Amino acid sequence: MNEILQQYWQAYLWSDGYHLSGVAMTLWLLVASIGIGFVLAVPLAVARVSPNPLIRGPVWFYTYVFRGTPLYIQLLVFYTGIYSIESVRAQPLLDAFFREGINCTLLAFALNTCAYTVEIFAGAIRATPYGEIEAARAYGMSSFTLYRRVILPSALRRALPYYSNEVILMLHSTTLAFTATVPDILKVARDVNSATYASFEAFGIAGALYAVIVFALVWLFRRGEQRWLAFLKPQAH
Amino acid sequence: MYKLTVDDLHKKYGTHEVLKGVSLKAKAGDVISIIGSSGSGKSTFLRCINFLEQPCAGAITLNGEAIRTAPDKTGALCVSDARQLQQMRTRLAMVFQHFNLWGHMTVLENIIEAPMHVLGVSRAEAEARARKYLAKVGLPESVEGKYPSHMSGGQQQRVAIARALAMEPEVMLFDEPTSALDPELVGEVLKVMQTLAEEGRTMLVVTHEMGFAREVSNHVIFLHQGRVEEEGHPREVLNQPKSERLQQFLAGSLK
Repeated sequence: MNEILQQYWQAYLWSDGYHLSGVAMTLWLLVASIGIGFVLAVPLAVARVSPNPLIRGPVWFYTYVFRGTPLYIQLLVFYTGIYSIESVRAQPLLDAFFREGINCTLLAFALNTCAYTVEIFAGAIRATPYGEIEAARAYGMSSFTLYRRVILPSALRRALPYYSNEVILMLHSTTLAFTATVPDILKVARDVNSATYASFEAFGIAGALYAVIVFALVWLFRRGEQRWLAFLKPQAH
Repeated sequence: MYKLTVDDLHKKYGTHEVLKGVSLKAKAGDVISIIGSSGSGKSTFLRCINFLEQPCAGAITLNGEAIRTAPDKTGALCVSDARQLQQMRTRLAMVFQHFNLWGHMTVLENIIEAPMHVLGVSRAEAEARARKYLAKVGLPESVEGKYPSHMSGGQQQRVAIARALAMEPEVMLFDEPTSALDPELVGEVLKVMQTLAEEGRTMLVVTHEMGFAREVSNHVIFLHQGRVEEEGHPREVLNQPKSERLQQFLAGSLK
């Protein structure tokens, strides 16, 4: 156990000598996909609840496709599937993008988590108390101001507990990245396993690292809820 | 010159006609109570004035300026200039039965929200207004950081009144402001409204509080089945009702 730690701790944490690896790579995958997913999900969630079927429909289709198929298959399609298309390889920009495993992985992860996030946010938007929307209109707010100042701030706060769940599930989903040769924690563990045959230690260390990250995420979200969800808490006398 | 006039307002839900031509004229400083049994259309009437409900026909004029409308496909009135309506709404602040404070904002944030983000008032000015009107509705400065859900109904409704006052509106619309309150909390809200009336504010109040209608308002409108059945000075209307409907209504409500 000690030998493994001594030899591989750097690879587990941030670098295998050539690339970012282990915890650093896993966190990068998580932060980048969650970040992109969030930024896309907010406007898409607004579109998802639109009364206009031409706006609502495409978003519904997108979330249906990405929630209706396994992430593993999405990753394979983006990584091997798209690159096998002749016209993609012929286009220099697309060729450069889809040749890199990390790009394909990030794209698949971001679109996948975005789909789930859209549904979480759209649900929270629908659950906005109608009286609050009416009050905003009665005070002269335009639809844009209404969303910016009342609906979204309220809905995103109420969505926080459900969203934290999505972030933790996304962390666990990053373990699929090794399929696209991305050296995340699990990839390092597999390499250690095949180099030493110490399976229990190799994967045990990986498991412990994930647990530590989840612990940190849970703590962060707990702090966030205390700060932003104080309005839903029963009053402390 | 009338502050607010409503001309021949009609409202239909499907085939059910809720308002069959209701009119109203309010001079500056008028406090008009709108009474009637449930289903008489009094809340709908109030909500049509700032277009929270879409009337089918009629005209609304504030300080001589009419809300521009055009009939849509279904025959209902559609606002033809959304910006004008938004601007008119800022001058017609509304207080709701269920307060409708923005839950994720503190008391102070609730009051400065519309002045800052709709009227474009600076934060300093908006906060100064908020403190002034919180004091007016009798709430201490210590409530500023509280969330609405942590306050009593009476306090929430007083915050909602402060929120309306912070818009410095020309007419205030009250939609059954005490109907959702526990009986012992009704008094504190009515007292605030009485102070406002004495200051000469123009107010339209849909209410079940006959005491308020009699003591505070200078005009009472009794709605029955979408029509004005009787109106006039509260002393005459409430003490010597002419119509049988109003006699029945008052007999029931005084029990």
